[in-house]
Amino acid sequence: MSQVASAVQPQAEEPLLQVEDLVVEFDTYGGTVQAVRGVGFSVHSGKTLAIVGESGCGKSVMVQSIMRLIPMPPGRIMAGSAKLRGTEILGANIIDGKDIRGSEIGMIFQDPMTSLNPTMTIGDQIAEPLQVHRGYSYRQAFKRAIELLEMTRIPEAAKRARQYPFEFSGGMLQRAMIAMAISCKPAILIADEPSTALDVTIQAQILDLLKELQSETGMAIILITHDLGVVARMADEVAVMYAGKIVEHGTVDDVFYRSAHPYTVGLREAMPTNDPARQHKLEPIQGSPPDLFAPPAGCGYCPRCPHAMKVCEQSQPERFYLLGEHFSRCWLHHPMSPQKPESLYFKDAQQ
Amino acid sequence: MWGYIFKRLVQGIITVWFIATATFFAMHSVPGDPLLNDRAVTPQMRANLEAKYGLDKPVLTQYFVYLGNLSRGDFGISFTQENRQVNDIIRQHFPVSAILGVLAVVFAAAGGVLFGALTALYRNRLPDYIIMFLVILGISVPSFVLAALSQLALVNLNSLFATNILPVAGWGTIRHMLVPALVLGLGTMAYLTRLMRSSMLEIINSDYVRTARAKGVPPARIFARHQLRNAILPVVTVLGPAIAAITTGGFVVELVFAIPGLGRYFVEAVQQLDYTVIMGTTVFYGAFLVFMVIVVDVIYGFIDPKVRLE
Repeated sequence: MSQVASAVQPQAEEPLLQVEDLVVEFDTYGGTVQAVRGVGFSVHSGKTLAIVGESGCGKSVMVQSIMRLIPMPPGRIMAGSAKLRGTEILGANIIDGKDIRGSEIGMIFQDPMTSLNPTMTIGDQIAEPLQVHRGYSYRQAFKRAIELLEMTRIPEAAKRARQYPFEFSGGMLQRAMIAMAISCKPAILIADEPSTALDVTIQAQILDLLKELQSETGMAIILITHDLGVVARMADEVAVMYAGKIVEHGTVDDVFYRSAHPYTVGLREAMPTNDPARQHKLEPIQGSPPDLFAPPAGCGYCPRCPHAMKVCEQSQPERFYLLGEHFSRCWLHHPMSPQKPESLYFKDAQQ
Repeated sequence: MWGYIFKRLVQGIITVWFIATATFFAMHSVPGDPLLNDRAVTPQMRANLEAKYGLDKPVLTQYFVYLGNLSRGDFGISFTQENRQVNDIIRQHFPVSAILGVLAVVFAAAGGVLFGALTALYRNRLPDYIIMFLVILGISVPSFVLAALSQLALVNLNSLFATNILPVAGWGTIRHMLVPALVLGLGTMAYLTRLMRSSMLEIINSDYVRTARAKGVPPARIFARHQLRNAILPVVTVLGPAIAAITTGGFVVELVFAIPGLGRYFVEAVQQLDYTVIMGTTVFYGAFLVFMVIVVDVIYGFIDPKVRLE
């Protein structure tokens, strides 16, 4: 199947993080859930990769397994590799004498209200990674924590550092979380739905802050979200995940304007727009994602797909490369496909 | 913080007054006369007591006489034991009960927190199963059974080594205190273990522990700084009532181990309708417990920053 249109994968610069064929399973009373089923992507310095998909598609599990944050057992990494600057980090805590967690990769979470320790001051919590990874004394680390709070635009940082999480608002807490995650100047910041729990004006502030910090520090960001608006605002590259697989991957323009997978098209149809020329009735995607206790033999999206063919039920679509690195796992792109994908997907391309 | 402590103290004094009033009227509604006892009370003694406590006057007058004495810290003289001040009884025997109680609470709290945290960290594995089985035993076996069994064990132990390693009964040295305190504290320890286990399990899966792991904090530091302090909050909350249960529940253990504590006087006084001793010990116990609850609340304020600022 690799003889398909423009199958040559373009050679780019050495990626910062290269994940390949990652498979993660969970043992439950109901059986084994195959949460992540062979995911691969790469992240480059200074760039933002957005991972989109609906709830339960494996986005969070994937990044948390790279960070060794999933409980094991019941979780299990069955296969795959994740290389940071060429060194394998799956199953490792330390590479090149540096801790991966907190030092090489920082992480922020969805709900800042519950993600901070309620009985520790904000400053102490931000200072902690510096003490653990950089050998700072408590005093030095706390001083640095105040500077980090200033960097994340928290007013009266010195006073705020001595306060507890319950004295902060949600947006402020997320800023503190960001300060904590970037304290050791990580190469990669993983943001797992960083703005989902916040109200819309605060969301915009947090996203702007992330962009500013990225341009200041040159870190890569892996942004997990199910909000296409956030993707359009933040991302350089987009990976669309469905049922534990990446079904489409490309630059943000590729994925938005030359969507090449029926699921991406479905997501776009379900997204409101404020452009009067493109306003339409929002079309929900009918049905629900497949049961990952018994993943389908063919394409996971096929029961919900308006263009499903016989082959879709029977075998997994390979990556079909379109332009450059833009690929789609959809049989419609096979040269022998009876349907012309251009007419299905590219309807906004002219605009 | 000081305002909070002051508020709690005022509340405490009102509580103690309430206890004193309730005890007074409850006691006076019990039929009988403490001075009509087997032991003959001379007419002179009777007259003196009646004069001092206004026993020949209406109940309400007696109540005010009693409150007046109480506010000066004078619990009066025993009606049935000659020449014994209630204050003396408390002064001589309460320290014994208090030491036993404090030791038992320390055992219970330390053991409960330790075993609770262990069972949570080893959940659904062998240490968890063993400790939780012992916990159920500890909760269901009454202390007098445990006390008798532990005495039997001590006898066997001492005869095995042919020396008095730990005394079977009595009071005086730290060696006398260990086993009774353990027996007294065991039920509470079992209860605290369960409490600590469930609160620890909740915290192990909490978002902020995940955050700490994502920060790369080593497990020992996560346990000490992120898990323990948060998990201990519910345990501290029940520590006040637990101290109450242990100090008042000490009577049985004191009896079995022949420990000269306050509990015996408390129970005997009720049987003999010794007004002043009942009143004195009840109010004293009440005040002690209220005080311990306040102490626990203040400690809680130091652990939980939210309480401190409210």
